[in-house]
Amino acid sequence: MTLAVVGLSHHTAPVEVRERYVFGRKEASAILAALTAGGVAEEAVLLSTCNRAELYLRLGAGRGLDAAVELFAARAGYSRAEAEEHLYRHVGRRAVEHLFRVTSSLDSMVVGEAQIQGQVRTAYEAAQGGGGGERAVGPVLSRLFEMALHTGGRVRSETALGVGAASVPSVAVELAKKIFGSLRGRRAMVLGAGEMSELMLECLVAEGVESLVVANRTEARAREITARFGGRPVRYDEMLMALPEVDIVAAATAAPHVVLTREMVESVLPGGPRHPLCVLDIALPRDVDPAVGEMDNIFLYDVDDLQQIVEGNLERRRADIPRAEALIAEGVEAFWAWYVSRDVAPLIRELRERAERVRQAEVERVMRKLAHLGEADREAVEALTKQILNKVLHDPTVRLREAAADGNAVQVVEAARYLFRLREQPGGTVE
Amino acid sequence: MTVALHIGALALYVTAGGLLGASLVRGRSGLPRWGGAVLPVAVVLHGLGLGAYAVVHHELPLVGLAPSLSTLGFLIGAYLVIFAALGEVRAIGLVLAPLIALLVGAALIIGVRPTGEPLTFQGWWFALHVLLGFAGCAGLAVAFASGVLYLLQFRALKGKRFGRMFRFSPPLALLDRAGRFALAVGFPAWSLALVLAWAWTLRFDGGILLGNPQVRWGLVTWLVFVLALAARSGPAGRDRRGAWASVLGFMVVVAVYVILRVGAGEGRVFL
Repeated sequence: MTLAVVGLSHHTAPVEVRERYVFGRKEASAILAALTAGGVAEEAVLLSTCNRAELYLRLGAGRGLDAAVELFAARAGYSRAEAEEHLYRHVGRRAVEHLFRVTSSLDSMVVGEAQIQGQVRTAYEAAQGGGGGERAVGPVLSRLFEMALHTGGRVRSETALGVGAASVPSVAVELAKKIFGSLRGRRAMVLGAGEMSELMLECLVAEGVESLVVANRTEARAREITARFGGRPVRYDEMLMALPEVDIVAAATAAPHVVLTREMVESVLPGGPRHPLCVLDIALPRDVDPAVGEMDNIFLYDVDDLQQIVEGNLERRRADIPRAEALIAEGVEAFWAWYVSRDVAPLIRELRERAERVRQAEVERVMRKLAHLGEADREAVEALTKQILNKVLHDPTVRLREAAADGNAVQVVEAARYLFRLREQPGGTVE
Repeated sequence: MTVALHIGALALYVTAGGLLGASLVRGRSGLPRWGGAVLPVAVVLHGLGLGAYAVVHHELPLVGLAPSLSTLGFLIGAYLVIFAALGEVRAIGLVLAPLIALLVGAALIIGVRPTGEPLTFQGWWFALHVLLGFAGCAGLAVAFASGVLYLLQFRALKGKRFGRMFRFSPPLALLDRAGRFALAVGFPAWSLALVLAWAWTLRFDGGILLGNPQVRWGLVTWLVFVLALAARSGPAGRDRRGAWASVLGFMVVVAVYVILRVGAGEGRVFL
């Protein structure tokens, strides 16, 4: 049996290729069923995200990875030759290492991003038959995914890889949370209704902001956005009236000039706001006059400030990559030792059973010639032969286990089978 | 037993402070998984130490400088554990854990044993008065610690200094709430302690002597509470004003205590 992964990611394929490998739940179930029922793989898991599509396989005896590649490529509408341009393959321990790195987000576009663990879990659960599909995982891939997820969890909790946000809108929210704690129940106003405003609204709504005001030059667009995210649309000229009601202002208009000046703020908040007001100016050119930030109780941040935090967070994540690598190596080692020992244990059992059969047959043959021996003497002969057998088999047994632990099981197992005339295991050998 | 338990608690308070200091240096807001248990265990050990004192000496650890400092430290620790259980404000332990360690360390150096001096003010009046007084002091200490972190975090946020303190310190709103809560608990406790002392002196001692350093300190502390609470009302910037008032108020209370105690001389029992 061979563990393998075939797939593509942002490292190997551009978005126009990756988008053809995005599979929905039903389609993924169909691919897994085709692989397992068709005898290509004993077990399979399909991981499909916007940045990667990967098939994790425990291949059946006698079938190569090529069959899986063909099936995978065909589902994406490519010929095998076309698909090979972007696909990578890892076999054996490298496949295991790859999954551990993916699950720990070391292979992600933004190292340390949190979503990948949930995506790996969803893929694994789908392969378990969750959501009505056929069960496509058995003991090996189950163990592999569970250990990979466990290691991913350790990497998140024991290193700085998951610390701090890594995009401008999420850092903006992180900053607001440093002022207000939870944003649940807070009130926010978003200036502008473009793409960045939408991203900000998404982040704010996800944090539980209770009341939203969207101010835009064109009221229709503001209405459109508030219909999606909730909240109240206002015209630009009504923006100042709403200012004293909110805790957070996110400015992301496309205006070529400042839209919020200190004089404007002072006109509605003379002496500054009673409670802290967080102003996040993520527009370029800036929407908010820097002098607004000099007012008491107003915290103003522009894109450069936010970018500075993003860089800092990424730097801290990068600094902790060696620790994450160490945890991954530990997890891979633990899985690999279990995986390889699965193949060695039956061999040892078989070897001992075969030797025991030979011993019993020889003792019976000799005992027929030594019929005059008493019960005590017979027992002594039995004990002696057992002892000899144990001593002879002790070293091979220990060596087999050591070879498995060192990752050299393949050659040693095959040599043992050849030397002791043991039959091939149904599952084949480890790679 | 009393001393051994105090030494154990002191070691754990120092460890808790060290862990929080390490978090600050590494710019992380959390503690290691086991780190959260250090402070509660320290407070439990400390409580057992005070319990052992009461059993061995047949009196509550409320009389004499060393037992008083230890009890005050214990109450501050109890506040801290409650705050840590409530959420992210565990970080105020960065200021409070060393303060508690200082109180317990001083108590150990002086010697955690009864002074043997006779007191006129005794019984449940006294016990309640001292306990409430310590609860008030502990509240002021917690408000001080919250205020210190609030001002540092405010400076980081306003000045766009996104360094270690920014990452380590809890959000402003949580620190403000912690300070507000500590004052809301501490002020009534302190006021009640003063009322009890006043009622006792009226009944058994003929009236309050304003020249008594204890009385003066009590009134100064009460005034500090009032000012700290008053600073938290009014127009813009009241959170920051409240933090400043708590920090300066606590420093005034400590300074006045030291001055009055030094001035009180040998003959008068003052804490």
